Amino acid sequence: MALGDCWKQLSWIYYQYLLVTALYMLEPWERTVFNSLLVSVAAMAVYTGYVFMPQHIMAILHYFEVVQ
Amino acid sequence: MTESPATKPVDGEACERVKNGLKPERNGLVRSLHRCHERQYKHHSLADEEEVHTASHYGSLYTQPFLESFEETPMLVAVLTYMGYGILTIFGYLRDFLRHWKIERCYIAREKEEQRDFVPLYQDFENFYTRNLYMRIRDNWNRPICSVPGAKMDLMERMSNDYNWTFEYTGRVVQEVINMGSYNYLGFAENTGPCADSVAKVTAEYGVGVASTRQETGNLDKHEEMEKLVAQFLGMESAMAFGMGFATNSMNIPALVGKGCLILSDELNHASLVLGARLSGSTIRVFKHNNMQSLEKLLREAIVHGQPRTHRPWKKILIVVEGIYSMEGSIVRLPEVIALKKRYRAYLYLDEAHSIGALGPRGRGVVDYFGLDPCDVDVLMGTFTKSFGAAGGYIAGKRELIEFLRSHSHSAVYATSMSPPVVEQIITSMKCIMGEDGTTIGRERVTQLAENTVYFRRRLRELGFIIYGNNDSPVVPLMLYMPAKIGAFGREMLKRNIGVVVVGFPATPIIESRARFCISAAHTTDMLDRALSVISEVGDLLQLKYSRHRKRPLAARPFDDSVYEDIDD
Repeated sequence: MALGDCWKQLSWIYYQYLLVTALYMLEPWERTVFNSLLVSVAAMAVYTGYVFMPQHIMAILHYFEVVQ
Repeated sequence: MTESPATKPVDGEACERVKNGLKPERNGLVRSLHRCHERQYKHHSLADEEEVHTASHYGSLYTQPFLESFEETPMLVAVLTYMGYGILTIFGYLRDFLRHWKIERCYIAREKEEQRDFVPLYQDFENFYTRNLYMRIRDNWNRPICSVPGAKMDLMERMSNDYNWTFEYTGRVVQEVINMGSYNYLGFAENTGPCADSVAKVTAEYGVGVASTRQETGNLDKHEEMEKLVAQFLGMESAMAFGMGFATNSMNIPALVGKGCLILSDELNHASLVLGARLSGSTIRVFKHNNMQSLEKLLREAIVHGQPRTHRPWKKILIVVEGIYSMEGSIVRLPEVIALKKRYRAYLYLDEAHSIGALGPRGRGVVDYFGLDPCDVDVLMGTFTKSFGAAGGYIAGKRELIEFLRSHSHSAVYATSMSPPVVEQIITSMKCIMGEDGTTIGRERVTQLAENTVYFRRRLRELGFIIYGNNDSPVVPLMLYMPAKIGAFGREMLKRNIGVVVVGFPATPIIESRARFCISAAHTTDMLDRALSVISEVGDLLQLKYSRHRKRPLAARPFDDSVYEDIDD
C-alpha cells in the first residue's frame, strides 16, 4: 500500500526529528509545548512572508530598474 | 634555525636540518627517539584528521603496526548535539521552576524548609544534569542481571510509571540477552567448568570469610601461592594482591610517592589513579592523551626547573599510564614511554586493568603485546576483575618494592584480605591461561579474543560507524554524540535482545557520548554476526553511521562474469 509506506516514511522522519532535537527524552506535554511553539513561530514567519512578499518583489524590481 | 638537543639524533648521526626547531610529529611521536636516516612514515590514503601510523620504519621501537584512529566529530553532528543539549537545558530550567513554585511534585533530594537561607546544596551543574537529563534515560543503567554474566545473560524486566523516578518489576525475565557490556575478555565468568569446580572445593575447605587483615591472621597459604603465581605470570620478581582494584591504585600510590615528588599522569587516567595521586600530596602534571611529545616536554621542564619555589631537584618522577584506556579503546605507546623513562631517569607505573589477559600473544598484557621486557616497568599494576573472572587487584615489581608495600600500604594494613574462593578462581584461571593445567584452553581463548576483536572492529568500520581506539583493543567505543540517541540506542538494542553499555556526560566529554562494547573470547562468530546485524539495523534506524570513510566490504564470492548478472541496468 503506497499510503502505508508513506505513513511509515513520515513516521520515521518524525522519529529522526525527535532524536535530533532531543524531544525523544521529554515527556508528552513538553513535546506538545515545544511543537506548538515551533509551529506558531513557523506560521508567523509564513504569514509575514505572505503579507510582505508583493512589497519586497516590487522593491527588488525597482532596484534593478526593471519597473519605475 | 635553532637546533635544540631534542632534535639532535640519538646516536649522533648527521641528519638534515629541521626547520623551526622542534617540529611536533602529527600524532605526538617524538623525533628525538628516531634515527634520522630512516624515512618518514607514509600517510595512508585516509583523510587527515585520522592518526594512522605504521611503525615499521622505526626499527627497534615497534615490532608491528600501531594503528589508532579517533575520527573527528562531523561539524553538523556537533552543532545538532549542542542544539539538543540546549533544548534539554531550557526544559530543565522550566521543570526546576515548576518544582520550585510547587506546581509539580518534587521526587528528588532537596533542602528542608529550615535550610532556606543556607548555602544551596543542589544548584550546581552536576545536580542539574542528574535531575533533568540523567533521570529521563535512567532505565539504561543499573539493569538487574539474574544469571552469570557470560556471553549471554538474563535480565529482570522492569518498567516505570513515572518517567524513571521509580521502577517496578513485571516479574518476567528477559532470557538469553547477548552480553556486550561485561568485562569478560577471556570468558572466565562462568558457573561450570574446572574453575567453578575447584572454587567450590576450596569454599568447602576454607569457608568464605577471612575475618582479618593480611597483616594479622588473614594471610592464608592460598594467598602466598597466588602471589607467587602472579609474579611468575608477569615475569616479575614478586607480586602482592589486594581485595579491590580501585583500592589498589588509590591506596598504594600514596605509599610510593609523597610531597616533593612529581607525578606525570595521562589526561584520561582512571578515577582511581587520579584519587591516589591526589591523596599522595605530590605535584601532579597532566600530559595530553598518549602524546609522547607532551610527555617529553613535561619531563624536560621538570628536570630543568625542579620543584616550584625552591628549584631543588624532584625526589622522584613517576609517570602514570594505563595499558588500555577503557573509554577510548586506545593502547599506550609503551615502547616510547619506556625509552623516555630510561632517558630521563623517571619511574613508570603501568595500570593494566583492562589489558592483562586481553592483549599479547600469550595473554600477558600490554608488555607482552609490544614484546618488551617486563623488568623495564617499575610498578606493574592490574586487576583480576576483567580477564580472570574474579575480583581484586595486584601490584608487581622488584622484591624490595613489594616488601615495602606489605608494611606501608594502607590497603595491606587495614583492608580485609581476599576471600578464598576468589583467590582460587584467580589461581585456576591464571594456570589455565599459562597452560599449566595441561590443556590448551587458555591459549585458544587468547587467540579467539584477538580474532574476535579484529573481526568485530573491521566489520563495524565497514558498516560506517565511527569507532575510536586501537585496532587490537577489545574495548570498542561506538560514537553516538546526540543525547537522545544515548537512550534510544540502549532501549532499541535491548528490545532486540542485546545488552550494551552506553556512556554519557560525566564519564566522557559532553558531546562525545558513546556506546562501549567489550568483546569476549566466549562470543562465538554467530553471536558476533547477530550482534553486528542488529547494530547495523539500529544504526540505520537512528542514523548513526557518521563516518566519512565507509569502505566497501570485500565481495563475498570471487569475481567472475556472473557477479554483475543480477544488477539491473
